[in-house]
Amino acid sequence: MMRKWLLITVPVAVLFIILDLFLAEHHVHFLWSGIPGFFSLFGVIGCLLLIGLAMALGAYWLQREEDYYERDDDDS
Amino acid sequence: MTIHNLPPAFIIIGGALLLILLPRKARPYAYLLFPVLAFALLLSLEQGATLTVPFLNYELVLCRVDRLSMAFAYVFVIMCFLGGVYGFHVKDLLQQVASLLYVGSSLGVVFAGDLVTLIVYWELMAVSSVCLVWARRTPEARKAGYRYILVHVFGGSVLMAGILLHMQQTGSIAFTHFGASIASYLIMVSFCLNAAVPPLNGWLPDAYPEGTVTGSVFLSAFTTKVAVYALARGFAGFEILMWAGAIMAVYGVVFAFLSNDGRRLLAYHIISQVGYMVCGVGIGTAVAINGATAHAFAHILYKGLLFMGIGTVLYATGTAKLDHLGGLVGRMKWALVFFMVGAFSISGVPLFSGFVSKSMVIFAAEEGHLAAVVLLLNLASVGTFLSIGLKLPYFTWFSKETDIKPQPVPLNMYIGMALTSALCIAIGVYPSLLYNILPNVPVHYQPYSATHLLETMQLLIFTFLGFWLVLDKIHMHATITLDTDWFYRRPSRFAYYAFSVSICNLFGHIERLALLAVKVTVEASTNPPGYLVQASRELRGIFTGSEDLRREPDTFNPDRYRISLGLMAFVVLLSLVILMFWYFFV
Repeated sequence: MMRKWLLITVPVAVLFIILDLFLAEHHVHFLWSGIPGFFSLFGVIGCLLLIGLAMALGAYWLQREEDYYERDDDDS
Repeated sequence: MTIHNLPPAFIIIGGALLLILLPRKARPYAYLLFPVLAFALLLSLEQGATLTVPFLNYELVLCRVDRLSMAFAYVFVIMCFLGGVYGFHVKDLLQQVASLLYVGSSLGVVFAGDLVTLIVYWELMAVSSVCLVWARRTPEARKAGYRYILVHVFGGSVLMAGILLHMQQTGSIAFTHFGASIASYLIMVSFCLNAAVPPLNGWLPDAYPEGTVTGSVFLSAFTTKVAVYALARGFAGFEILMWAGAIMAVYGVVFAFLSNDGRRLLAYHIISQVGYMVCGVGIGTAVAINGATAHAFAHILYKGLLFMGIGTVLYATGTAKLDHLGGLVGRMKWALVFFMVGAFSISGVPLFSGFVSKSMVIFAAEEGHLAAVVLLLNLASVGTFLSIGLKLPYFTWFSKETDIKPQPVPLNMYIGMALTSALCIAIGVYPSLLYNILPNVPVHYQPYSATHLLETMQLLIFTFLGFWLVLDKIHMHATITLDTDWFYRRPSRFAYYAFSVSICNLFGHIERLALLAVKVTVEASTNPPGYLVQASRELRGIFTGSEDLRREPDTFNPDRYRISLGLMAFVVLLSLVILMFWYFFV
């Protein structure tokens, strides 16, 4: 089922990058403004970066068992 | 006081008090009447109108009408109505009264023209909102509520300190744009606490997931957005807010991704979305303030909708934990549909409300040539779609098959969600509905440009691809994520020992010592010679090491050592004789 989704999204993604070549106008110029498909790259890298960052933070530092705070309570 | 300057808070707060007197059956209907009345009042308020009353040496401005107040007031009243529809089935008077008071005090803040009126409503907001957490009546909610109210009491104290210092320095209590001074920074800190700017954010993801199903819908809408309003009024253009906002937008999405509780995930996205608004306030240009206001407006609706959607799941299944949920698509289809409208709105999908509001803040950052801010905000957009558009619905309605049998959900909950969804789409399709009420008109911003559409679609599609790539690696476990609330939750245990347990133990020891002293005194004074003999036996026993001496002998009889009556009589007579001799002969 997930493969079917991919068959739709990949051509659409390619289409958007091609359109980006011709249609985009930038009222303010940034370093990335001239790169066609920059936001595609940003999307996929940003997504993987966020997942990686979150999972690393969780695994090595921040994630605890659910009773972490309640463990020492007398009344529960 | 006329209909042109009557504070709308009076209607809602008056309604809350009236509700107590009404019969149970009439309450949900009456509840819906008050926001309708308040909305009618909003339409009749005049720009620039004020209502002042003298108070000590100052003038209190109970109502000050301008475009910024009005934009927030409209959405507060609309959300009150939608929340009322969603919570129509609720019979709990506490929740009904508390939520109306909460909305009323929020309205009070946005129309408050002076700092004294502001802080009164500010505190009322904290008190009424905590009732929406406590109304869930679970031990977790009780504890989270206590932490919530303590944090907000702290924030209120900082605000009070700031206001008093400000009054002393400037002699004015007017609530307008502040200059840079210690007093105004104190006020800013308390506003930032309510806006959940990290590191002052711990209370939000702690308390909001513990609220009642309908209560959290209200919680998600008001406290943080009132704080955004207050920041926009007092601190527009403070650069520190711009950076704080951009960072908190990303902070929220990172923590949201780790959350296992669906409502906690949404709560972290409040932090992230409020980050856009705080950032817009920090940029401070006309378009940025417009963007922050527009985003607050859109955000209240779609975040309410998301909390309604996941609240429906919680209501039907009894849990919002992602590791328990899954496979609900066939059983709770409409909840998914409405949830996805909220999810597309928050992700900024074209034709949904987030697209026309969020982009305005990013546009303001672009105009200011703030490359880092633009990238951070876009990264937060990626994370938002990732967690709310993909992860949360995937693990709730798809992923694994479960044998959860959802119980039927009241129709009014679906009607509430349908109305909210309609508004989210309406704003996305006709942005001018929203743009016409923004503080700085006319609005020269067109969200549906080819460039913006292309950028957004690329961002969203490739986020989807990224998620699809690593989907196998993402598993939900029953865990919690430490946040800045650790700093007062974990040490509280040690504080408890230091200030309560250890002092109790000390008192216990002293009490035991006192009782021992009493026992010894009583024993020694009832039979002094017997006690002395026994004590000397024990002492000898200790020094010689003989067990026999230390142990009380079987034949021990206290009366043996007790002074006999004859001896006493003899001593008394002898004393008498000596006394007589002394009297007569000396």
